[in-house]
Amino acid sequence: MKKLQIWKALARGVILETVRRKDLWVVAILGFLIILSAGALGFFGMKGLESFAKDLAATVLGGMSSVLAIVITSRMMPDEIKNRTLYPLIARPISRFDLLFGKLIGAVAVSWISFAILCALTAVALSIFSVPFEPIMSQYVLARMMGLVVVCSVTLLLSLVMTPSAATTMSFVIIFGSGMITQGLLLAYEGGQTGMQPLFKLINAITPQVGLFDLGSRAANTNWGPVPAWVMGSLALYMVLYSAAMLSLSWVKFRNQAV
Amino acid sequence: MKVWFPVTIICALAAVSGFNVSDVKDQVHPKGRYSGLDAHETHASASLLGQFRTNISGWLWVRADLYLHNGVTMRPLSEQEVLNGRKGVGSSDNADNQLHDDSKVVTVIPSAERDFRGIFGDLDRATKAYQDMTGHSHNNPKQSLPLFRLMTWLDPNFIPGWTTGAAVLAMGKDRNSYFEAVKLLNEGLEKNPDSISILDQLGFTYIARVRDLASAEKVLERARATGKRYELQDIPADEQESLLSAYRWLALVYRQYGKLDLQYAVMREGLELFPGDAVLERMLNAPPLVLAPQKERQEEVRPEEPDHSHEHGHDHDHAH
Repeated sequence: MKKLQIWKALARGVILETVRRKDLWVVAILGFLIILSAGALGFFGMKGLESFAKDLAATVLGGMSSVLAIVITSRMMPDEIKNRTLYPLIARPISRFDLLFGKLIGAVAVSWISFAILCALTAVALSIFSVPFEPIMSQYVLARMMGLVVVCSVTLLLSLVMTPSAATTMSFVIIFGSGMITQGLLLAYEGGQTGMQPLFKLINAITPQVGLFDLGSRAANTNWGPVPAWVMGSLALYMVLYSAAMLSLSWVKFRNQAV
Repeated sequence: MKVWFPVTIICALAAVSGFNVSDVKDQVHPKGRYSGLDAHETHASASLLGQFRTNISGWLWVRADLYLHNGVTMRPLSEQEVLNGRKGVGSSDNADNQLHDDSKVVTVIPSAERDFRGIFGDLDRATKAYQDMTGHSHNNPKQSLPLFRLMTWLDPNFIPGWTTGAAVLAMGKDRNSYFEAVKLLNEGLEKNPDSISILDQLGFTYIARVRDLASAEKVLERARATGKRYELQDIPADEQESLLSAYRWLALVYRQYGKLDLQYAVMREGLELFPGDAVLERMLNAPPLVLAPQKERQEEVRPEEPDHSHEHGHDHDHAH
């Protein structure tokens, strides 16, 4: 119970800090751009463009929410150290693991809030154009929220092992490039030497599979329908396992770090 | 001195230089070069925004292909895969042969048998728009028409947007849509007066759809004249393909009219430019009886289509 209170207090601190730094203004501006783009699209008439509108919405939502999650998480711990606000925190009876976990929950919460705001604005834009709601859209949102947890956990680890700008850059490369890495491995596996195949499997296993959380192509195009429950369950399990691994590595690094 | 004074001067100078930007055009884009060669890079309007427009139109082009496959992402086979004897998925409908060739494309996400990723592969196939595309069919290309309209509006120099958009419009048997296609191509021609691809597609639409040989002759002659204004090596590969196509169609139009002198002149000129072209050679060497004029059936009969896998003059493989 006490742990829950600690994590809640730390997460609340992250959210308040984000509000204080006016980071959510970025979300508002991005949301304004979504509405503006929708207006430009409306100029051409929406007949026949429903799939395109949904596709565009899924792409924009996925891209922007990942960017926000990376930017928010990568600054979190380095800022605490730089501003010396970390000292009063570790002076309290809080373990370093609790500190990291609470911060991660805060980063995930802010990412989810930003994502929810963008989703709401996108939903308004789509409803203006009479694009009907489909159950797969709920699954898209849920899967994307799970994906953001993985994004935050990867970025948290990187922010502890490198400088904030390097962590941000590397996070962008890993998160946005993971799909390309996977495709490259798939092509190389078939055409490559047999001796290299275990290496390809290893690289694939450690690469964060954030692309799996993107149901955008199914949501945007017609007649695909919702994904089975086992798929959502597997995604949730992967999220928990991968994020736990990233958090553990972060803790290993932060546990003995002189601050 | 007040701050606003130098700021005003700088703004005024910037405004004056902005008004004179059009004078730079001749230096950036000298006359005598083929305007379709690299319009996106050297045209006077190729500012940052211009390049952005080009990128967006290219992206829309790829999206249009994606919607044909209902969201299933496809890719062309690599050279290595072709050498290893791998075949593409192929398609079961031939309605849009003019749009793309599915004999050398496969899905980006591999089937379970070809995927080493195990559960990750299964999840990828379950969360993405994926299905076995062997002998697949396509969505109605007309669904993508607004995208073609959008890409030509964003980037009027994007020739495939005009030609393929018109090809999609002219599909089916609705005669009104044939005229819509002609209208779209004429609009494209206004923006790209030297585009041989647009002229060739317009000629094809007049012949094969509208059945107006007189108009076809005019535009194909214009394509021929445009080609003659430039050295062949200065014309981009796609436009060269369209020029060859224009020669073939023009020869057939003259054959249809019974203007054999003009027909032979066109074929010889075409062969000078494209030596070894099997279609033109076959037509040139055909016995005269086969080439007899068919004036009396001119209204009903359309010319025999040459071997013409890319009537609209460009390769679509890159869209995958």
